[in-house]
Amino acid sequence: MLDTDRVRTHTAESVLQRIDDRTVRSVADYADADPGVIAKRLEELDCEWDSDRTVEAEAAATGLAGLALGVFVSPALLGVTAVAAGAVFMHALTGWYPLMPVFRRLGVRSGREIARERYALKALRGDFVAIGTRSDAVMTAASPSASAAGDTETSGPIGK
Amino acid sequence: MVLIEHLPPTATRVERHTHPEVNAALRRRTDAGLTAMEDAESAQFDARLRQLDREWDIERLLQLNASTLVLVGLVLAQRVDRRFLWLPAAVLSFFGQHALQGWCPPVPVFRRLGVRTVREIERERYALKAMRGDFDGLPPRGTADGAARVRAVMKAIDA
Repeated sequence: MLDTDRVRTHTAESVLQRIDDRTVRSVADYADADPGVIAKRLEELDCEWDSDRTVEAEAAATGLAGLALGVFVSPALLGVTAVAAGAVFMHALTGWYPLMPVFRRLGVRSGREIARERYALKALRGDFVAIGTRSDAVMTAASPSASAAGDTETSGPIGK
Repeated sequence: MVLIEHLPPTATRVERHTHPEVNAALRRRTDAGLTAMEDAESAQFDARLRQLDREWDIERLLQLNASTLVLVGLVLAQRVDRRFLWLPAAVLSFFGQHALQGWCPPVPVFRRLGVRTVREIERERYALKAMRGDFDGLPPRGTADGAARVRAVMKAIDA
């Protein structure tokens, strides 16, 4: 289901395998955990830096460093900023990014990969049990951090 | 590391810097779309899930926006006037602020135009999967060993 994730299409097969194995192992660690323990893990997942945030922080730092070097050292070093901006442009359009192989090998996951773990944990916790096909019950269960009987307005991302 | 702990969570940092009414409006629109799918056929679910695959989330749009402005600023600085370097300087600073805090000037505009976060899109995705019945019949807690339940859950998640 993640085969349309553009970060994944530019990640080597062996690295994908490692990232996915880690996700499944992490889910398995919580197979019999109490709902409260799983809620804690969901909060951790919210805080995990995804590939977009990592690229943005790195590119902003590289681009600003290039500007400073270009202004104070040599105008040729403005090329650093140009390359950084060009790379982000490519990343937005195609999902390819020159430093992504490094980030991915360090274990940085895409937002969709993190969401996959999140909803696996919610399913494991029983959030989707016995909701039938009523859409309002589905929406409550599908709220990213709501507990099985949770109120979306107070425990969802908005109420916090 | 202390600084990192004070930063907002990755998944919710944009929603935290969006007006609550705009967040609520986006959520209502998503939920209305889901309600309209109440009696949908499985082909309609497949089609909607494929649409979600192609939807541009706000990070993607911001990356395109910022990188374009930086490149334009660099060209103007080279061809017209060096003072145009202030444009990439400002854009990159805001871009960095967005990475860390979840806010930069285009965010309120894009949010009002209806651009969603990955988290909001994924919420719709898994709600659709639940409505389609992907999570029906998962072995409840206590009825199967942990490994079997995890296998069943991952199969449903990836269906």
